[in-house]
Amino acid sequence: MQTEDSVKSPEGKEGLESQSRRSFLKMMMVFAVGAAAIGTMRGGIQSLARLPPQALNTFPSLTLVNSSGAPIKTADIPINSALGVLFPYPLTNEPNFLLRLGDKTGKDVAVTPQKVSIPDTGGSFLSPGGVGPYKSVVAASAICQHAGCLFPQLRFYPPTSSSYPGLIQCGCHGSQYDPYKGFSVVSTPARSPLPNVALSYDVTTDTYQAVGMIGPVIFNHSNDLSGGTAAKSSTSTVTEQSA
Amino acid sequence: MKNYSLYNITGQIRKKLFSSESLLVRIFNDPQPIPRKVPDYMRKKGGILYWTGALIMITFIYEIITGLVILIYYEPSNPYVSTESFINSVPFGSLILTTHLYAAYAMIFLIYVHLLRNLFVGAYKKPREIQWITGIVLLVMTIGLSFFGYSMSGDALAADAVGVGQTIAGGTPSIGTYVRTIFFGTGTSLTLFQSMLAWHIILAAGVGFLFAIHFFIAEFNTIMPSRKEAKYRAPALDTDPGTYKPWFPYNLMYMMQYLVIVFGAVILIPSLLAISPGIPPLFSPFPQAAAGAALPPGFPSYPPWFLLFVYKELDFTIVTNLTPFWSTVIFVGAPLLYLLLIPFIDRKPTLSMVDRPLTVALAITGTIYLIGLSTWGALSPHIQEHTPEVLAFFIIPAAAAILLSYYTAGRVREGRMDVRTEIPLMVLLAMTGLTAFILGLSISTVMASVTGSSLAALVLMATAVAVEVSIAMGVIYGIIPDGKPLEIPWIKKFPVSAVLGFGALGILIFISFLPVGSVYNQSLYGIGLGIIFILAGMMIRVYRKEAYGE
Repeated sequence: MQTEDSVKSPEGKEGLESQSRRSFLKMMMVFAVGAAAIGTMRGGIQSLARLPPQALNTFPSLTLVNSSGAPIKTADIPINSALGVLFPYPLTNEPNFLLRLGDKTGKDVAVTPQKVSIPDTGGSFLSPGGVGPYKSVVAASAICQHAGCLFPQLRFYPPTSSSYPGLIQCGCHGSQYDPYKGFSVVSTPARSPLPNVALSYDVTTDTYQAVGMIGPVIFNHSNDLSGGTAAKSSTSTVTEQSA
Repeated sequence: MKNYSLYNITGQIRKKLFSSESLLVRIFNDPQPIPRKVPDYMRKKGGILYWTGALIMITFIYEIITGLVILIYYEPSNPYVSTESFINSVPFGSLILTTHLYAAYAMIFLIYVHLLRNLFVGAYKKPREIQWITGIVLLVMTIGLSFFGYSMSGDALAADAVGVGQTIAGGTPSIGTYVRTIFFGTGTSLTLFQSMLAWHIILAAGVGFLFAIHFFIAEFNTIMPSRKEAKYRAPALDTDPGTYKPWFPYNLMYMMQYLVIVFGAVILIPSLLAISPGIPPLFSPFPQAAAGAALPPGFPSYPPWFLLFVYKELDFTIVTNLTPFWSTVIFVGAPLLYLLLIPFIDRKPTLSMVDRPLTVALAITGTIYLIGLSTWGALSPHIQEHTPEVLAFFIIPAAAAILLSYYTAGRVREGRMDVRTEIPLMVLLAMTGLTAFILGLSISTVMASVTGSSLAALVLMATAVAVEVSIAMGVIYGIIPDGKPLEIPWIKKFPVSAVLGFGALGILIFISFLPVGSVYNQSLYGIGLGIIFILAGMMIRVYRKEAYGE
């Protein structure tokens, strides 16, 4: 501030006293303008920096149903289907694969719970394993953990497929996951397994319920239960999409 | 020049636009330094009248900042609910939305002040004709911009204003339907609010762009010097004799001073209104009940106050045979046409008001019409007015203003009266008029229901009027000396500045502990923040005085 200090005040006051007066006034001015700026900044930041609203507080139990509202039976789930058999859970903008895993001959494969590591954090979790009469039905988030790609880019290739047999592969950037091993990462760039859906199977009625999520948080959500809207009923509709 | 063949006219226009004397060519070929230095008297006492345009710009900046925050949250598919949830659920949402509204009000009010000031001093004269015309266009665009913004909340008042707007737009001869769909969508709620949002933003961008041109021409033509400096003759140009102080820091600090004061006022006023009970819907900073919801009995259907004058003219029986479109064209179009043409009507080089009594009288008449029609619209909305009353309303003020202007001009010319030193007094009288109007409103509030708060408001406004009247009387009768710059000794300046600086910090600390979950607390925050801004403005004033001797 060379210019201001060199300006003579009208009375010709100069020297140390005048300098220190000005410094004091300048300090008071900085205080007042600074207070105004800080008070405004708080308003600006706080009004924009909001957390996504929490849609639910606990994981709901949603019965998997078909488009006409009837509960899905084991026979309704095709073995090794390359189609996108999807249902939303726990929120309506969180799609999941529903897979009935088999071997090359089309026989059900029992999927056992196992420890799945999360390369991104160095941690791990215990996958829920398969349910149903043959322990072959599994489910996981159908949003790629790398960049959020969806079906049909992210899709399951049956064991009989010539490319990526028995894996979920993402066509966007090449991430691969193994649904037989708790959707663990087989190939980067994804650094986190697909979040597993915990299913519960009712033997007497032969119906399936989604009851929770296990593993990492669904891609682009601050937690699995926020950033979307909850289902209005206690069912989740399974749809079949072709590529 | 006598030959008005088409070829001749186009030739004239071409010459006007592209000759070496045209404004366009001169601006491109000889760009002037921006920002220009200005004489010292423009930063001294009373110099604010040279900066009314800057004040408008400051409110416009505030509008853009707050508007962009609101834009993030606004949902045209759900206008009323999203507005209400912005107020109630977003931190500081209430503060941002109410101050966005009031900064718009301030912008419109300041545009009228800017317009009148330049009309009275003859700023539309050579070489500022184009600058004046862009200013009139900016006025119209800002009113349109504000209309769309006001209507976007989707409340009952907005629905009414949109209804009137749709009727006027739809009444455009032969292309009415197209005009209506361009501005108000195809009939569904979603297209209505989608297009209003779009036009709100388009017009804001347009105002910003045209303002840039307006400002650039103003800088090119130089800021209009005091008429005394210009010897009361157009063209009034300001030339730097080489002694003008540099823009930085002198003008910058001056602008900062007004920036924080204007920001402070537009934050403080709606925050005070937000926690005061009994504010009439016309001045309430919040949206009213949802459109279509059951309204309380006697609830008036008002347009925003800045459009009340258009609203009232539709009530005249004299125009019931005309459509709303044509009565708007007459009542709004005629004054606008006059304003657009005035640089070419009043071509005499004199800038003295005494030598232009008709222009001055028409400016006063127009102001009376604007305020009168608006007040009339506020007090008796939707009530048919018969021709004799309407004629009385229009003729009496015009006749009085013209007669008084010629009389005063004659007296001044004879040297028996001096009105030039009385500008602060005029401002004070105008403020007294406004306060008296609010006092009248609060009297009617008390008549409607006597509550503690309405009584408090009444007492407050009555005191304000009494104080203003006393000061005015004091100035008129010479008890209070006017206009001598006071030299404040350091012994007083020191504690004053300490109070300003530390006071601002103290208020900041106080409001920092306010949880802003509720609308009430946000209003308290707004009051505190507004006061901090105004303290900062006063502190800059003290600093400028000490450091720059201004």
